[in-house]
Amino acid sequence: MSVYKHNYRAYTGRVTPLWTRVLVLARYGLAEVWSSKISIGLFTLSLMPFLIFLVGIYLVNNPIARFLITKGNSPGFAINAAFFLKVLEIQSWFALVLASWIAPRLITFDLADNALPILLSHPISRFGYVLGKFIAIFAALSLVTWIPSLMLFAYQGYSSPQPWALSNLPIAAGLLAGAVIWIVFLSILGLALSSWVKWRVVATGIIFAAVFVPAGVGGIVSAILRSKWGLLLNMPVLMTELWCRLLGAPDPMRPGQAIPTAAIAAMLVAACFICIGMLNKRIRAREVVRG
Amino acid sequence: MSDRIIFEDVSKFYGEVLGVNRISLSIPPGITTLVGPNGSGKTTLMNLMTGLVRPSSGHVSVLGFTPADATEFFGNVGYCTQFDSFPRGLTGWQFIYDSLMLHGISEIDAFGLTRESLERVQLGDAAGRSIAGYSKGMRQKIRLAQAIAHHPRVLVLDEPLNGLDPMARAESLALFEELGRQGMHLVISSHILDEVDRISDRVVLITGGYLVAEGNIHQVRQEVRDKPMQVLVRCDHPELLAAKMFSMNHCVEARLHADGRGVFLRTGDIDQFYSLLNGIAVEGLIKIETVAPADDDANAIYQYLIGSNGSAS
Repeated sequence: MSVYKHNYRAYTGRVTPLWTRVLVLARYGLAEVWSSKISIGLFTLSLMPFLIFLVGIYLVNNPIARFLITKGNSPGFAINAAFFLKVLEIQSWFALVLASWIAPRLITFDLADNALPILLSHPISRFGYVLGKFIAIFAALSLVTWIPSLMLFAYQGYSSPQPWALSNLPIAAGLLAGAVIWIVFLSILGLALSSWVKWRVVATGIIFAAVFVPAGVGGIVSAILRSKWGLLLNMPVLMTELWCRLLGAPDPMRPGQAIPTAAIAAMLVAACFICIGMLNKRIRAREVVRG
Repeated sequence: MSDRIIFEDVSKFYGEVLGVNRISLSIPPGITTLVGPNGSGKTTLMNLMTGLVRPSSGHVSVLGFTPADATEFFGNVGYCTQFDSFPRGLTGWQFIYDSLMLHGISEIDAFGLTRESLERVQLGDAAGRSIAGYSKGMRQKIRLAQAIAHHPRVLVLDEPLNGLDPMARAESLALFEELGRQGMHLVISSHILDEVDRISDRVVLITGGYLVAEGNIHQVRQEVRDKPMQVLVRCDHPELLAAKMFSMNHCVEARLHADGRGVFLRTGDIDQFYSLLNGIAVEGLIKIETVAPADDDANAIYQYLIGSNGSAS
């Protein structure tokens, strides 16, 4: 008895490419992110430093405004690599706070609601599912890191009386690369840890812990062994060093304490691989396991 | 292109835990009921045919497609899970529409198909409301709408009648029956065997991860030779009929119907039983109104083959 001898008609219309379906999940994710008032509050808060930096750039480049506000005194800072390093550092901490709030909303809810079997019974792979969520969190974190940082850079280039932007392009490249590396790491870390915890609040705490607890352990290791290599566990220090090198800013580490760039890169890659392994283990459509 | 769901020597293990073991099946179009106790491997079997899990060994194909051909495979399969769970914060309309978009259906077609499926399960009026505010029955319906929205040829339904009131249950069964008549594959797992039994073309009995029996319900029943078959004969003299049958046939049990106008007879040789019954009818002493098997339904087969403790007998 063939299907074709009956009058049931399967869908035979046009089918969109696979990659566009990932964007449906990303859209789901972004809608979920912005459905929370706390997300919007954190996002707004994380843009506040930009207003201050914007005012700073304005003051440095505008003598009249500087005269009116600072009575002609120097504002006490220059717009250079160190300035943009500070921008990146501050925004990256906000990105960590946002990631720890957003990531659990993207995955923990699906796990808690047992929604994975429904989603994965579509022509979308586990990789596609994670990619969709990754795009959502990456896009959200971009809004508070590299996008406004580059806007500040562009504003400085525009308002500087001397040609500034072209001669400082490495700073822009460093801003972009430094922010993207950090938010890629944060996104993968957030998704991986969220996939193992069904309680959102706990997941948020664990993401913070994953950044700060190893840093503490690394500090103890360094102190006991009198070695700089314990710093490899200290992600904030590693990232600050990396950003300094990417932006061409002065290295804050004491001579002899600096970690090689290759070691920092290897540490980041290793952490990402562990996170991908965690996601691979956890993101499954399985509903029931017989005991 | 094949028109069957085929399992070739399929086993699935979750670590050391057995899901299903060495299952070989060929399911034609129509309505197939999966019957088995909790933990028997029904959901694993459904997950395998919906591509949600991959077999540890063996091969599964649905209408000739495997999950490796993602777009074709999932486009041909609709799955209604047993769990009352949804992506958070969606309205009924968004749930169906986004599901269709995930299937790769264009926006214009998705719009039309969403409306069609919602109307088919009679949820058109509630489409704009959040699923979180739906009743249990409505949530069951919206899952069904999502499973049929993309016009799959294979519909896999895990406990689709749970939570439905009698009216909604009857409507769902009518819909399943209609889809089965139209040539669709419906694979239904349900504990409400009496109701599913009425529309099923065949059963697959599974317990402990092993296939116990499969096929047309009546054929499966006839193969259970160690359990005498029970027949209800409606007639004007049931006591006399029972006496005659006991004297001539291998009848092992007779029980009068509650209304006194029929008798349940249990026999070890059904062919001889029907032959003798013909003879009695021809004699004319007993006026026979109807003859119907009383235990060749899914429920009885479940009891005979699997038993109430869930172990195969």
